[in-house]
Amino acid sequence: MENNTEMMKGVLEGCVLEIISRGETYGYEITQQLRKLGFTDVVEGTVYTITMRLERNNLVDIEKKRSTVGPPRKFYTLNAAGQDHLALFWRKWEFISDKMNELRTKEINRSN
Amino acid sequence: MNFFEKVTGSDMTKQMKGFDARAKGLPADYQAAWEEIKSNLWLHGDFTGRNLMPIMDSALELLEVTAADGQRVEEVLGDDIKGFCAALVGDEGAKSYRDKWREQLNRNVARKLGGLK
Repeated sequence: MENNTEMMKGVLEGCVLEIISRGETYGYEITQQLRKLGFTDVVEGTVYTITMRLERNNLVDIEKKRSTVGPPRKFYTLNAAGQDHLALFWRKWEFISDKMNELRTKEINRSN
Repeated sequence: MNFFEKVTGSDMTKQMKGFDARAKGLPADYQAAWEEIKSNLWLHGDFTGRNLMPIMDSALELLEVTAADGQRVEEVLGDDIKGFCAALVGDEGAKSYRDKWREQLNRNVARKLGGLK
């Protein structure tokens, strides 16, 4: 879906963490996965700014590997702090999506 | 960085030259993007711009890796280079001197207001 960048901003970090948690991966692969999921607006630059932030907050381990073309690539794996962060993200996500569904489906009792 | 470099910024000039030399090896559309990234990043510079050097280095690294993949630059950066630069600099990554002035002003105003009570 297009044009939901604003909404995506808060959750993209969680998406990237989840993808990295499935196994060692690199920027291009992460972007492709997100696009395959249907987030067609996501570009590699966006993913890069997130992986950079994860790196700065010490949530991922990095290994630089040579590639056949061009400069070496950074490969990411989730470390223990990253796992905790991801678990926390899903708890937050569950809370928000629960409340959103509640708001949408349940009647709201007005105080007067 | 020695004292001479610190005062004259000659180390940065050297680094910028190095960056631009690396950028020269990129495809034409990537070079245009690099110019735009640079001009957008300067907005976030501190007084000397030294804080931007590692950030520019990593931006250039992304360009190099993706160019080697044969991706088009639009696929990599989208149409929001400004937003990309802001995200690259990050919330705490590099405060510009304007941020610092703003903080200082806010602090001073708060202190004055506190004193009036």
